[in-house]
Amino acid sequence: MSSEFEISRSITIGQYVPTGSFIHRLDPRIKLLVFVILVVAIAFNTSYFGNAIGLVLSLYLFWASKIPISYGLSGVKPAIPFIVILAVLQLLFQGQLFSDGRVYVDYGFVLITSESIRLVVVSAVRFIEIIFLSSVLTLSTSTTELTHSIQSLLSPLKKIKFPVHEISLITTIAIRFVPTFAIEMEKMMKAQASRGADFGTGGWWRIVQRTKEMFPIIIPLFNIALSRAEDLILAMESRCYTPGGERSSYSVYKAIAKDYLVLLVGLFFSLLLLFYPFPF
Amino acid sequence: MEPIIRLENVSFSYKINEKTKVSVLKNISFSIFPGEYVAIIGHNGSGKSTLSKHLNGILTPDSGDVWVHGHNTKDVNKKRSIRQAVGTVFQHPDNQIVATIVEEDVAFGLENIGVPREEMKKRVDEALNVVKMSPFRHRPPHHLSGGQKQRVAIAGVLAMKPDCIVFDEATSMLDSFGRKEVLQVMRKMNNMGMTIITVTHHMSEAAEADRIIVIEGGQIVMDGPPREIFKHKLELENLQLEVPSVSQMAEVIHSQFNTFSKDIIQENEFIEEVEKFHKEEVGT
Amino acid sequence: MTGRPIIEIENLSHTYMKGTPMEHVALKGANLYAEEGECIAIIGHTGSGKSTLIQHFNGLMRPESGKVIIDGEDLSKKKVDLKTLRQKVGLVFQNPEDQIFEKLIGDDIAYGPFKLGLPIKEVRERVKWAMDVVGLDFEEIKDRQTFALSGGQKRKVALAGILALKPKILVLDEPTAGLDPKSRKELLDKIKRLNKDEKLTVVFVSHNMEEVAMLADRVYVMAGGTDVLTGTPKEIFTDKEKLQHHQIGTPETVQVLYKLTDLGYQVNTEAFSVLEAAEEIMKVLAGKKEGSEHVQRI
Ligand SMILES: Nc1ncnc2c1ncn2[C@@H]1O[C@H](COP(=O)(O)OP(=O)(O)OP(=O)(O)O)[C@@H](O)[C@H]1O
Ligand SMILES: Nc1ncnc2c1ncn2[C@@H]1O[C@H](COP(=O)(O)OP(=O)(O)OP(=O)(O)O)[C@@H](O)[C@H]1O
Ligand SMILES: [Mg+2]
Ligand SMILES: [Mg+2]
Repeated sequence: MSSEFEISRSITIGQYVPTGSFIHRLDPRIKLLVFVILVVAIAFNTSYFGNAIGLVLSLYLFWASKIPISYGLSGVKPAIPFIVILAVLQLLFQGQLFSDGRVYVDYGFVLITSESIRLVVVSAVRFIEIIFLSSVLTLSTSTTELTHSIQSLLSPLKKIKFPVHEISLITTIAIRFVPTFAIEMEKMMKAQASRGADFGTGGWWRIVQRTKEMFPIIIPLFNIALSRAEDLILAMESRCYTPGGERSSYSVYKAIAKDYLVLLVGLFFSLLLLFYPFPF
Repeated sequence: MEPIIRLENVSFSYKINEKTKVSVLKNISFSIFPGEYVAIIGHNGSGKSTLSKHLNGILTPDSGDVWVHGHNTKDVNKKRSIRQAVGTVFQHPDNQIVATIVEEDVAFGLENIGVPREEMKKRVDEALNVVKMSPFRHRPPHHLSGGQKQRVAIAGVLAMKPDCIVFDEATSMLDSFGRKEVLQVMRKMNNMGMTIITVTHHMSEAAEADRIIVIEGGQIVMDGPPREIFKHKLELENLQLEVPSVSQMAEVIHSQFNTFSKDIIQENEFIEEVEKFHKEEVGT
Repeated sequence: MTGRPIIEIENLSHTYMKGTPMEHVALKGANLYAEEGECIAIIGHTGSGKSTLIQHFNGLMRPESGKVIIDGEDLSKKKVDLKTLRQKVGLVFQNPEDQIFEKLIGDDIAYGPFKLGLPIKEVRERVKWAMDVVGLDFEEIKDRQTFALSGGQKRKVALAGILALKPKILVLDEPTAGLDPKSRKELLDKIKRLNKDEKLTVVFVSHNMEEVAMLADRVYVMAGGTDVLTGTPKEIFTDKEKLQHHQIGTPETVQVLYKLTDLGYQVNTEAFSVLEAAEEIMKVLAGKKEGSEHVQRI
């Protein structure tokens, strides 16, 4: 049994885990591009079959990154209660919007049809796929690599005066902030618990209890997160960071044949998910 | 010689809200010259960190000016070259660490000033070696112990090779060996021509410097070589400070044996004085 | 000291982020034992596991393997009354910024007493008392904002917040880092008084050997996640070989005395305060001066 406060342990987005795998060594720009097209494709696919492919694919990628699947699952765990609640609500209240297909239950405002079930199942699975994919991306790509790749992918937009650099920076800080936020939360809970607050008495499935415990930490957490963000910007500036300034790069990126191959495969799957008329 | 940093009548207050302001720095003027090794001492809340943040324009004065290499820190266009000239290690290492991997954090500043890649690799390796954090280079910095973070923060600034580094209590969480190592690094950098400014509560550390600035209530109350400053034992005690323990020991001995010098601030001096005194006594 | 064990840690191990790729062993087989009313210092290099160890004392971390018994209660059991435990064991973190979470200083220090359900008058009394112990002025500072503090002031506020709980065991992680010399001395005196007069058990982590020599009844030296050495400050600081082997520093005075012994002077290195050390050196110097007379006396 370890600590009930190890929240950062179950946050898999925004942590970088160097394992030196094939996925880690991919050109980060290509990795990011493939990620984007896959997520878009998954977001538009509503078939069971398509999402099964998506799920297998994202699990495969996780496996290929040599990061233990159990670690990936621990990232999904905290989201389970929300997925379940969302699914139940959708099932109960959104049936009217998806009234096609076979009707299973029709009682008052509750209408459950094969289509509404599909909606619920697919969106839950989709959510999990996206968590897995973004975990693979951020677990195998350091923030520095990410900033550079966002910047270079967006750079064509510079011509139309799009603030490429700022956007890439903001994105990176946001991603960088996910683990920071988790750590701050961990510290805050430890600080309060040390002085008599109650935490960690209920299991993660006891949603109401857990939520109630969370209230007193939310406001101070936001204050602290804000001042951390300010500190972070100061720290960056004091080390000569200038928005829009020319930077050199610690790592070199050179796409080679295998990167393009990955891009092709990614494109193939995306197109498949987007346009292939899956039977069910 | 042109000063590297010059403060002219600098005053600064923090705004707490619309109505209240806390006045922290009051009309401070001094210059730091290239190659100097300066310690800033003063009790908690006397304004040392606030002052340090003025030295490379993280804060700018409400009135008065700070000049770095002749550029005013209020000049937005000069920010980058000012910060390239003067680097700061903050009091709190968590506030300093930017990236999610130790080595990338050290490289962050170098990327910003456009150091070519080959050179960058070299400097990162060097800086990590100096602070003995090479084995941790692939670890996420937010999962390090307090002292380890402090070392990474120091490496990040060392790698940038600025003309001047401001250390704001950069060794507060290091063990005595770690602290000695960092002091040696400061000394070495200083011998190579770098200007060092260090804020500290350890008087033996301040005694290593060439010059001590004592601040109290946002004003400079003493400024001079350590030997001069540490002669004023009572004034320092009134300022909630003290003299190094070797000086205290020398004074006690002096009160018994008045030929034993009390003008001692460093350990090796003390030892030498004991030897000298001993020989003389044997001689007579 | 009453001879009653209050902290018993045996063979304790901890791995951070266990089961993840970032797994890191911070403690392996650490032991620590303290009696009621004792003052224990923990020293050791950066990263040796000190902070990790002490977070087990109030159940912020639960024993992964090994035994942690606090005041008779076994923390490796599943059901532990954590709230009572955490009131009994006041833990001040290494980093004061991690400890302060309210907006106003007064509120922050009052958080613990309020959680204990004390009446408002007593809460106020405790806050006043705690601020006095750390040397903060109650009227002047209670309505100031917590972020608007200097590093040293934050440390004092963090300390006060824990003292206000009036714990039975006080655990401090580098309590004087960042304090100016006078504040440091005053705080040490106060801790010593609490320890001696009110029989408070104190465990503190420190890199400052003067402090260790002055306060501690016993010292634990940590290295690589275990306790490698334990003894009274005298035993630790006079064992030159072990000091060197484990790269442990000594009080500045002892360091000077060691250098003198290296040069062939016959000084006793067990002098931890300026006065003791100076006297020790004067003995040698006087011995030479008054020559034979001194020798005879011995
Ligand atoms: N962000 C802030 N907003 C408002 N007031 C502040 C802020 N930071 C510091 N102060 C106040 O300004 C004064 C000087 O603070 P500063 O941090 O410069 O002190 P310091 O000399 O570095 O002290 P220490 O030795 O404790 O680090 C203190 O009284 C403090 O309360
Ligand atoms: N949250 C964490 N996740 C992973 N590893 C950690 C974490 N916190 C600490 N560690 C590692 O565990 C080891 C012990 O850390 P700990 O903080 O206990 O050291 P310490 O003895 O208190 O050091 P210091 O004197 O620098 O504060 C270190 O090597 C550190 O890198
Ligand atoms: Mg300060
Ligand atoms: Mg620690």
